[in-house]
Amino acid sequence: MASSAEPVMPGPETPVPTGQDAPLLLRLLGSPTRRRILYALLASIVLFAIGQAVRPGFASPSGIRAVLTIASFVGLVAAGQTFVILIGGIDLSVPWVLNGASILMVTSSLGSNARAIPALLLTLGMGTLVGMLNGAGIVLLGVPAVVMTLAMNGIMEGLTLGFSGGMTCAACGSYAPPVVQAAVHDSLFGIPTALLLWLVVIVLVSVVLSMTTFGRRTYAIGNSPRASFLAGVDVTTCTIGLYALSGLFSALAGIVLVGYGGQAALGMGDPYLFQSIAAVVIGGASILGGRGNYIGSAAGAISLVTLVSVLMAMNMPEYGRSIIYGVIILVLLLLYGREDAER
Amino acid sequence: MAELDGVQAEPAIEGRGLSRSYGGVHALNDASMSAVAGEVHALVGENGAGKSTLIKILGGRTRADTGTVSVGGREVKFAGPDAAHRLGVWTVFQELTLLPWMSVAENLMIGREPRSRLGLIDRRGMERRAEDTLAALGAEHIDPLALVEDIPLSQRQTVEIVRAISYEPDILFLDEPTSSLVEREVVWLFGQIRRLRDRGTALVFTSHRWNEIRDIADRITVFRSGRNVGTFKELPEDDAVTLMTGRRLEALYPQRPPPPPAVPALALKSYNARGVRDVSLELRKGEILGLGGLAGHGHRELFFSLFGAEKMIAGTVEVGGKAVRIRNPREAMRHGIALVPEDRKTEGLLLAMSVRDNATLAVLRRLARFSILRHVRERQLAQGLIDRLRVRTPGLSNPVGALSGGNQQKVLLGRWLLAEPNIFLLYDVTRGVDVATKHEIYELIMRLAKEGRAIMLYSSDAEELAHLSHRVLVMREGRIAAELSGAELDAEIIVSAAVRDRIAT
Amino acid sequence: MPKLSSRPPCVIELPPEPRAVSDNRRPRWVHRLAQEAGLFLAATMLGIAVILYCVVFLIAQRHLPGGFELTSTVNSTLPLVLAAVAQTLVVLTRGIDLSVGGVIDLTNGLAAITLDGSAWGHAGQPGTGSIGTMILGSLLVLAVGGVCGLINGLLVTLGRLQPILVTLATLSIFQGIAIRVLPQPGGAVPQGYTNLLANPNWPTSVLWLVALAVMWWMFRRTRFGVGVYAIGNDAAGAAAIGVPVASVRILAYVLGGVCSGAAGLFLAATATAGDATAGNTYTLTSIVAAVLGGVSLFGGRGSGIGAIFGAFVSSMIVNILFFAHIDPLYQSFYEGVFLIAAVVLVGGIGHLLRRRY
Ligand SMILES: Nc1ncnc2c1ncn2[C@@H]1O[C@H](COP(=O)(O)OP(=O)(O)OP(=O)(O)O)[C@@H](O)[C@H]1O
Ligand SMILES: [Mg+2]
Repeated sequence: MASSAEPVMPGPETPVPTGQDAPLLLRLLGSPTRRRILYALLASIVLFAIGQAVRPGFASPSGIRAVLTIASFVGLVAAGQTFVILIGGIDLSVPWVLNGASILMVTSSLGSNARAIPALLLTLGMGTLVGMLNGAGIVLLGVPAVVMTLAMNGIMEGLTLGFSGGMTCAACGSYAPPVVQAAVHDSLFGIPTALLLWLVVIVLVSVVLSMTTFGRRTYAIGNSPRASFLAGVDVTTCTIGLYALSGLFSALAGIVLVGYGGQAALGMGDPYLFQSIAAVVIGGASILGGRGNYIGSAAGAISLVTLVSVLMAMNMPEYGRSIIYGVIILVLLLLYGREDAER
Repeated sequence: MAELDGVQAEPAIEGRGLSRSYGGVHALNDASMSAVAGEVHALVGENGAGKSTLIKILGGRTRADTGTVSVGGREVKFAGPDAAHRLGVWTVFQELTLLPWMSVAENLMIGREPRSRLGLIDRRGMERRAEDTLAALGAEHIDPLALVEDIPLSQRQTVEIVRAISYEPDILFLDEPTSSLVEREVVWLFGQIRRLRDRGTALVFTSHRWNEIRDIADRITVFRSGRNVGTFKELPEDDAVTLMTGRRLEALYPQRPPPPPAVPALALKSYNARGVRDVSLELRKGEILGLGGLAGHGHRELFFSLFGAEKMIAGTVEVGGKAVRIRNPREAMRHGIALVPEDRKTEGLLLAMSVRDNATLAVLRRLARFSILRHVRERQLAQGLIDRLRVRTPGLSNPVGALSGGNQQKVLLGRWLLAEPNIFLLYDVTRGVDVATKHEIYELIMRLAKEGRAIMLYSSDAEELAHLSHRVLVMREGRIAAELSGAELDAEIIVSAAVRDRIAT
Repeated sequence: MPKLSSRPPCVIELPPEPRAVSDNRRPRWVHRLAQEAGLFLAATMLGIAVILYCVVFLIAQRHLPGGFELTSTVNSTLPLVLAAVAQTLVVLTRGIDLSVGGVIDLTNGLAAITLDGSAWGHAGQPGTGSIGTMILGSLLVLAVGGVCGLINGLLVTLGRLQPILVTLATLSIFQGIAIRVLPQPGGAVPQGYTNLLANPNWPTSVLWLVALAVMWWMFRRTRFGVGVYAIGNDAAGAAAIGVPVASVRILAYVLGGVCSGAAGLFLAATATAGDATAGNTYTLTSIVAAVLGGVSLFGGRGSGIGAIFGAFVSSMIVNILFFAHIDPLYQSFYEGVFLIAAVVLVGGIGHLLRRRY
C-alpha cells in the first residue's frame, strides 16, 4: 500500500471471534449440516433398537446388513438426486430410467456372463445419455426441470413399454448375468458388495462435491446461477453434467436392483422417486439449491429405510404404517430439521 | 470539534445500551443514540461499524440482545417493522425491500391499496394513486406500471424512499439512501429531507460520502466497532475519519499516474448492443478511462456486452490489437477482461458461500491439479487477499453475506484481482464503501494502472470520476456524448455533459 | 490540515433529464403482456393444443368436436384444475405442496361415504343422499381439506420446516388416513350431486370453472392475495413493509387445502364413487400444470388462471393422443414428447416476443 494512509492512532484490535461463546455441545457438532447428519444417524440407531424390541433379530448383524443393503439402493439414486438438487433442480425421471436400465440390462445380457460387461456399459451409457438430454433440455431449451424430467420419465416409460412389448418380449424374462447377481450378493470381509459399492460411491461423490472444481461450481450455481455465470462458471456444461450423473446413478441402481432380485419387472423404479428426494432433503439439503452434501443424503437414506423396515416388522395394517411413517418423519424433522429463526 | 453533551430537546427516538451479536460477532456493543424532532442526524462509521444493525433494531426489523428503545420518551418493544410503522417510525433499509416481480405501484401502495365498492383492490385506482404519489414527491419520471425488476437500481432506491416518505413519518431512518442514487436524485432527496426536517420529522441518515454529510447533517454520531464514540455538531472530515478508523488519512484521492503511451488494450469500433449505440473508443494500457453519465444510459449494457454476458449486436472489438468475438464471460476472461458488476448481491457474490469460495471462484482452474482443488494453496491465496485488502471477516469460512457491505465489495474486487486480468471493467465499485476503504480501492486502481493494466470505470460519483480518470467519456442515451480530458476533468462539467451537449467552461 | 474533498458539493441547476435507455414508458398493455407473459404463453399453448385436438378429432371422427366433448373434457379436467390452483397457492409463497395427492385421496374417500349420508348412518338407498347430507358432506370434505392445509401451514411456519419435507410427510399421513376411511374403492355419490358438479349432459362444470376463475380474480385483489405474492417475491421484504408473513402463509396453505378438497369432491362426482388412491397422481400433475401455466417454482410469479390453462393443456395432450390412435404402450412416450414440445414452442414464442419490444 502506498504510504498515504499511515496509522496515527493504535486502533482497538478487531476482535476475531472464533465462535468461542457458542455452547460446547454445538461446537462439537459443528455446522448445522453436520448436526443434521448426526441426528439422522442417531435416529437410525434408535429405530434399530425399536425394531429389535418389536422383532428380535431385527438389529442382528444380518438384519442390519439387509436394511443397509436396501438403503444402498435408495442411496445410489439419491446420489444423482443430490447433484441436481444442489443446483436447485430435481430429477423426476428416476423411476423409468431405473426401470428401463434394469430391463435393458437383462435383455441385452440375456443372463450370460460373457455379455455382462457390454450390457453394463450399454446400460450405464443409456442412463448417462438420458440424463444429458434432461440437462440439455433444461439449460439449452429452458424447460423447467420439473417438466423436463417428468416428461423424460414418460418418454422412458413409453420406450420401455413399447420396446419390451409391455414386458412380453422373449428376452424380458431373462435373468441378470450370474456375475452381476453374485457381485451384489457376495460379501467381502463380511460386508455385502452392494454395501461396498455404496461406500465407494459415498467417498467418490463426497470427494467430487467437496474437493473438486466441479463440486465448487455446483454449489456456486446452486447459490446463484447468475453470479456464477458472471464469474466465468460454465453453467451450461455443468448443469448437463450434473443431470448426466443423475441418469448414470439411476441406471446403476437399476443394474444393482436386477442383480439383487435376479429379474426385472415393470414398476420397480416407482418407490425410488420420493424416497430419493426424501433422503436428500432429510439429509439437510435445500430443495432450492446451494446447500447440502451427499453424506447427509446417505444418512437420510439409511434412516428412511430403517424406518420403513421397522414399520414393516411391526404387525400393522398398511394405513397405520403410512400414517406412522409420516408422523415419525415429522417428529424427526421437528427435532433437528428446523431452519434458523430470522430477526 | 465540538462535542455535544446532553441533548437539548426530548429525543423522538432513543436507543440505550443496545447490543446484538451474530454467532459470536458483536455487530453492536452497548451502543446508544437518539434523534430529536426536526433534525437530520448523520450516522457515520466504517463498513461493519454497526450502523445498519442499529437502524434495523430501531426500525423494528431486528431484535436487540440487550438494551432498550424508546419512542417519544416511552419504552417500546417492536414485534416487527409494522409495530414501528404504527408509531410513525419508517425506515429505508440498506438492502432494498422492494418486491422484484411486482409493479412499482403495488410496491408503493402495498397495505393501503384503494378498494372498490366490493372491498376488492382497485388496481387502476392504485396505479393512479401511485402515479400521484410519485408526482407529488417529484419522482414522476418513474413508471408506476413497470416491474421493479425492470427499473434501474437508482430508481428502485427512489421508489423505496418515496414509499417511506409518503407515509409522512415522524421518525425516518435512511440507511445509505444515496449509495445508488445519481447526482440529481441526491439533490432531490436532500430537498425532501429538508422539507421533512422543517416539518418536524426526526431523520437519521447514513452515508459514506462526506460532502453529503456536511451538506445535510445537523448532528453527527460516529460509530466504531459497534459502539458510538461521540456525537458532534461540527466535525471536520479529517477528524471524523480519524475517529472512525483510528488512522489519519492524508488525501482521499491518491496521485494519478501520468497518462500512459498510446498502446491500445481494448478498442471498440461502431459498437452496438441493446441500449448501446455506435460507440467507438480506445482504452490504453495503463489508462484509467472514466465513463460518466446518468444511470440507465448504456454503461451497464456496454460493460455487460463487452464481458459477454449480453449480446453484442454490431461493431468490432479488438483486444490487444486483435479482433475478437466474446460470447460469454469465460471467453472474456480468457481475453483478460474482468467485470465487477453493479449489484454485488445478485450479480457478484454467492451470499451463502464462504469468503474463500467467493474469492477464488474465478481462478478455480489455476488452483486445481486434475481438477482436485489444492486446499492449502486456496486458503493461502484467499488469506493473502483478505490481508492485502484488509477485509474484516471473522474467518475465511464465514458466509460472505454476513459481512458488511464494504467488506463484501472488497471480496468481490479481490476475486478479480486474483484472476489478474489486463482489462478491468469496474461498475461503481465504491458504492456503499467507507472512506478508508474507498481510499484503498483508489490506490489499488492506481497501482493496477501503473502495472500497465487498462481500467474502464463507471461511477455514479462524478467527483470520483474526475479525480481518478485520465479521460472521461460521458454517455447519453447509449452514445458517447462527450470526451473530457485535462482541465475538463471536473465533476460539474461531467454532470452537465451528462444532460446536455458540450458546454463551454 | 489537508482537505479531503476540495470542492463544495455540486448542486447545479439541471435541465430536464434526458430519457434514459431503459425508462421509456410503455403503454399499459405492453406492461400487462410483459408481466403476465407466463399467462399469455399458457393461453397460447392451450390455443395450439385445442386446434391440434380439433384437427385430430376431425380426422378420426369426421366432424368437429362439440358440446359433448367440451363438457366431458371440462368434467374430467376439473379435479386437475383445482389441484393445480391448490398447488399454485402454495408455490406462490415459495413453497411446494406434495401432499396435494394425499388430500385428494382423503377428501375423495370422505366424499364417497358422506355425500349419501352413509357415514352418519343415513338409512337410505346407497347413492341417494338428501340435499342436507349433500351440503353437509360437501362442507365437511372442504373443511377437512382446509384442516390438512392448516396442518401443513402450521408446520411450515411455526415449525420452520422446509415445505417439501413437511408435505412429503403429511402426504404419507393423509394417504394412510384415506385408506382407513375408505379401505376399498367404492361408496356412492348421489346422482343428483354428480349432476350438479359434473353433469355429463349439461355443462355445469363450465360454470364451476368460470366461478373458479372469478374467485381467483377476486383473490388477486385482496390484501391476502397481494400478501401471498409479496411473500413469494421476498419474505423479508414483505415483512419489512408490514405484511403479516406467518398468517398469510398459513392461510395460503389452508386455502390450498380447501382447493384440494374441492378437487376430491369433483373427482368423486365424476367417478360417482370414491377411491382412496385415486388422488396420488395429482401431486406431480398439479405441479406440472402450474409450471405449464407459467407459475414459477421459485415463488412470487404466476397466476391461478395460468394454472387452469396449464391443467387443460395437460388434458388436451391426453385427448389428442387418444384420437390419434397411438399404441397405448407408447402413450406416455408421446405425452412426454408433447409436453416438452409445448413448453419449448411456447418458450420460443415468448423469447421472440421479448426480443421485439
Ligand atoms: N445477519 C447477519 N449475520 C451475521 N453477521 C451480521 C449480520 N448482520 C450484520 N452482521 C455483522 O455485524 C457487523 C455490523 O454490520 P452492519 O451491517 O451493521 O455494519 P454497517 O456499519 O452498516 O456497515 P456498512 O457501512 O458496510 O453498511 C458486521 O461485521 C457484519 O458482518
Ligand atoms: Mg450498513
